[in-house]
Amino acid sequence: MSEAMNYRLGFDIGGTFTDFVLVDERSGRAFLNKCLTTPDDPSRGVMDGLGPMLRDSNIAGEEIDIAIHGTTLITNALIERNGARTAMLATSGFRDVLEMGTEVRYDIYDLFLEKPAPLVPRKWRYDVEERLDKDGNVLIALDEASLRETAAEIRRHEVEALAVVFLHSFRNPANEKRAREILAEELPQVSICVSSEVAPEIREFERMSTTVANAYVQPLTRHYIDVIEHQLRDMGYGRRLFLMISSGGITTSETAKEFPIRMVESGPAAGVLAATYYGRNMGLDRMVTFDMGGTTAKIGLVKDHQATKASVIEVGRVKRFMKGSGLPIRVPVVELIEIGAGGGSIAQVDILGLLKVGPRSAGADPGPACYGRGGENPTVTDADVILGYLDPNYFLGGTMKLDVEAAKKAVEEKLAKPLGMTANDAARGIFEVVNQNMLAAMKVHIAERGEDPRKFYLFAFGGAGPAHAYELARALHMKGVVVPPGAGATSAMGLITTAVSFDFARSFVTRLDAVRWDEIGAVFEDMATEGLAILEDAGIAPDSKGVTVVHSMDLRHKGQGHEVTVEIPKKTYDQRSTEALAELFYERHREKYGHAHTHLAVELVTCRTVVGAPPPVVPLHLSEDPAADSQAVLKGKRPVFFPESGEYQDTPVYDRYRLVPESSFPGPAIIEERECTVVAGPSSQISVDAFGSLFIDILPAVKVGKDHA
Amino acid sequence: MKVTYDPIALQIQWSRLISIMDEVDAALVRTSFSTIVGETRDFAVIMLDREARSIAQSQLSSPGFTCSLPSATRTMLKQFPVDTLRPGDALITNDPWICHGHLPDFIISMPIFVGGHVAAFMAAAAHVSDIGGRLDEFDARDVYEEGLRIPPSKLFEEGRRNQQLFSILEANTRYPRMVMGDVEAIVGAFRVGARRYQELAADYRPGDLDRVAEEILRRSETAMRQAVGRVPNGRYHHTVQADGYKQPTTIQALIEVNDDSIRIDYSGSSGQRNDASINCVMNNTFAHTIYPLKCSLVADLPNNEGLFRPISAVAPEGSILNARFPAPVKARSKTSYHVHNAIYGALAQVLPQAVQAGSGSFWSIKCFGRDEAGTPFAVHVLPNGGKGAVEGLDGLPTIAFPANGTITPAEIIEIGSPLLILERSLRRDSGGAGRNRGGLGQTIRLGCARDARLRLTIRPDKIRFPAPGLAGGRPGSPGELTLDDRPLALEPFELRPEQVVTMKLPGGGGLGDPLERDPDALRRDIEQGFVSIEAARDLYGFEQPTNEPTGA
Repeated sequence: MSEAMNYRLGFDIGGTFTDFVLVDERSGRAFLNKCLTTPDDPSRGVMDGLGPMLRDSNIAGEEIDIAIHGTTLITNALIERNGARTAMLATSGFRDVLEMGTEVRYDIYDLFLEKPAPLVPRKWRYDVEERLDKDGNVLIALDEASLRETAAEIRRHEVEALAVVFLHSFRNPANEKRAREILAEELPQVSICVSSEVAPEIREFERMSTTVANAYVQPLTRHYIDVIEHQLRDMGYGRRLFLMISSGGITTSETAKEFPIRMVESGPAAGVLAATYYGRNMGLDRMVTFDMGGTTAKIGLVKDHQATKASVIEVGRVKRFMKGSGLPIRVPVVELIEIGAGGGSIAQVDILGLLKVGPRSAGADPGPACYGRGGENPTVTDADVILGYLDPNYFLGGTMKLDVEAAKKAVEEKLAKPLGMTANDAARGIFEVVNQNMLAAMKVHIAERGEDPRKFYLFAFGGAGPAHAYELARALHMKGVVVPPGAGATSAMGLITTAVSFDFARSFVTRLDAVRWDEIGAVFEDMATEGLAILEDAGIAPDSKGVTVVHSMDLRHKGQGHEVTVEIPKKTYDQRSTEALAELFYERHREKYGHAHTHLAVELVTCRTVVGAPPPVVPLHLSEDPAADSQAVLKGKRPVFFPESGEYQDTPVYDRYRLVPESSFPGPAIIEERECTVVAGPSSQISVDAFGSLFIDILPAVKVGKDHA
Repeated sequence: MKVTYDPIALQIQWSRLISIMDEVDAALVRTSFSTIVGETRDFAVIMLDREARSIAQSQLSSPGFTCSLPSATRTMLKQFPVDTLRPGDALITNDPWICHGHLPDFIISMPIFVGGHVAAFMAAAAHVSDIGGRLDEFDARDVYEEGLRIPPSKLFEEGRRNQQLFSILEANTRYPRMVMGDVEAIVGAFRVGARRYQELAADYRPGDLDRVAEEILRRSETAMRQAVGRVPNGRYHHTVQADGYKQPTTIQALIEVNDDSIRIDYSGSSGQRNDASINCVMNNTFAHTIYPLKCSLVADLPNNEGLFRPISAVAPEGSILNARFPAPVKARSKTSYHVHNAIYGALAQVLPQAVQAGSGSFWSIKCFGRDEAGTPFAVHVLPNGGKGAVEGLDGLPTIAFPANGTITPAEIIEIGSPLLILERSLRRDSGGAGRNRGGLGQTIRLGCARDARLRLTIRPDKIRFPAPGLAGGRPGSPGELTLDDRPLALEPFELRPEQVVTMKLPGGGGLGDPLERDPDALRRDIEQGFVSIEAARDLYGFEQPTNEPTGA
């Protein structure tokens, strides 16, 4: 890349705010900006924020090396159902599978449960004679004549997008591709997606759901990206636009327009990527990321500097946070679990006489009782104020005053009275119950990955994350808590510190010992070639240093339902050794579940390839305005409640912006910055590194009597 | 640490117990071998206290099992008293009269030791792939014909397999790999749960968790009593008929609500059948009594035995709902899955807003044979009809009820067997008419992919007696089962490549008078092809505007 250019631009359109970050690659110096998202035309908000930022920082568009964009557009379109008029074409007899789904109830006791309506209503679902068998052999040829008749009917409905999903097409895409050719001739105005390209994986309902969702958001994504690219060009940025995708990679605008569904939920993924960036710089290879905001908490895992991935995500859950109540989307994603626990989560007494918190949220309006906007329900934020974690006069840097009396009144009336306890105890109850909700989810999540929380740091960000992280880390006996500098811009940092990379998957079910390497090798090479071509397109030569091609296989015991992803070492790949692969599978299985059945054959389900460029080297930026000594950063003291001691302790309050680099001080402590407050309990030692990150190391617990958990 | 009955402490401890079971559940799903456990989720994992009373279960545990697991564990403990158990022991039985009413349901329990004493139990019930016996579903004359019965036995002793029992089991199932794989997966998942429980116990004083268990049970019981208390006292009676086998089954329920307790009497129901495997044991009847009541009265509460205490059920011994040993019981859901219809029919008289019309689920397809390599395969698919309507909501199409599980995808079925799925589509007009319409059933057509020896057993239901409607709602369409357009007998048969089986699964029942249906909702139904113009006219009184186009 040219030496004249040294800036990386990241901009992330969220539900409320659009965040910008512009970083000088040489110094790590960052310029940040934030403006309101403009939902009617999100590109307008981008220009509103970007123009002034470039002017103020005196940087010309030409000086930007790479522009990377993250957006909630896709997720929002699926939730708000403002995508294209979409039709679907399936194998004869299967058009209703989209609506029939998995037939499972996600809640076994709810007689009133609902499911999300399919993105394509039945009247726009069509089918055609064609059929492959499980190995991709053609049993029934595509009935081209009747397809042309169907196309004529589709034309009458004036649909804008069309998804083609045939059975077993992941083994042989020929029928789907031929159908697309015919449909493209007949329906030139319609954007067409085929399942063998969007999600070539076994299980027809998920593949259908994913392909349909891709078609549904494609027209609006195309338009949107075109507009943004045009506007960036007008500002002098002449290079390609890159987009953040759900797997944590970044991709070209061309690929994003073809497979927009791969960008679903990419915003939250960026937060985890930021964690990997800080982790690389800090030498932390294992972290649990914890992003707690107003309505939800999102939890992810970083192992060996890599975010853990999943192969399916759900969008638009109709029953809040309930697994199974959304539309399944089968794309590689940074794995995140989301639970209904945030600052706005409402606490109430349930019919068992117990205190429950969430998932109902007071939202931003009326918001928690302490916002003083008419909210009468006690929330987590109200408890945080009563317990002394938040300073009512320094919320959002003091721009919003919190009403402590309103918080106390809500807790008193809705909780303390019915439960027969003091308001203080009830507030403490809210804090502990919401923490327990998050702990339960975190524990199961970590355990499902076969990991031990004691080996992890908790990487906390988001408005409420740093206030709750210490208690979570303590309960899980984690190493400690890390709070990055500028917790408000954490996700945007994820955009610019991420490597360009592409994930591919092809299902190919066969016994591992019956694998014909020529065939499998061709599948892998095909994916690698495709990935390297996109990289080259992005200005990264396939043979440049640090470019990686990683192949893996989803394997299982023959007959067993679930697969384990096994990365294939280069040596094994070159030697074409299925025995070595089987051994690796048994090993991974043992690692994950404690046992393996070595007497059973191994079955290959899906081949995966990730092609990646090296991660960019963006140095951390040194703190700018440290105080002369630790005393100078002390803003004062206030009583703060700590569950481990069971009482309020007079606790020093520090100014985060003036902390002395490479200093250290003991807990308890409150460290305040504009967007969040960091809470460190009595059994901790806080260290500040050269770049302003906070480490809260948890000391061997002083066991005290009144602790609940 | 101190434990009081502080509602906050209790909430936290309870949540920790449930989260342990969710972890056990996840471990089991991921290590199970059969699709029955791994994909269709026909299992439950529960934590029992030291007296073997259920206190916490994984949130997706199959509801039926959650009643029979604690009592089955207590029965096993009579034979293997608690003080004789050692760390690493695990108990097993599948006796239908002890467990859940038929031989494929294994119950496995394992004590958890804390400080050298049994502190709690992990218990699981799971439907295994095969337990020997006849391949047909209905024609056994006694339970001996239905497979291997395992009396309460030690599956593991101090961590070592009971090799003799393993050998006997392996020798008596057609699919030892899957069955033993699932059994090992259960015990492996238990070990995870036991570790978590021990870690939890370390945070408290000895005895604290026992008191937590008491309190969970007490509060749950109180909540259920309060909910029952809101149902007007009285005697509510309802009778339903089910297809049965060769002759119909009658289920009569008399619900007596007496302040804070409910008693259900099934007197008047059909007698035990000694020529058909459709008998229920009392455990099973009780489970299917509790489930619809919990759904209607306290749907949101975590499940445990405290909720059952205010409810009692009786059925005459020797009746189809309380069969005597050794009655044949293999296909008892042909009977038990109709119990909730009798209960909801009775409750509809006083709680119409909290009941559900009859559902079209479920049918079963079992396919056996050998693949090209000569290895035996077994595929078990449980497709569903439509759900019954509830107040304010139409029934969902094709969804499991009262059992729960995922349908195996056609692509997975075809990879695991020579079956060819030719169609899976929604059945127009199958949802019972009503102010709220019943959910649509589905049409499935099956063929054979290539020249293979393939035996099929299909178990239909609601062919003669459809899923009932409630409060003026019409029943769903009955099911139909044909082979090349001729009615298909229920015996196992060999499917030849040129033949086609057509299964039309029943729709759910409707709720309320169809004439009161919202005209917009009806128009949408017509437009989507859920309801035909003819049915709309005949059942809903629809008058078609002259210029309005008709739907698909």
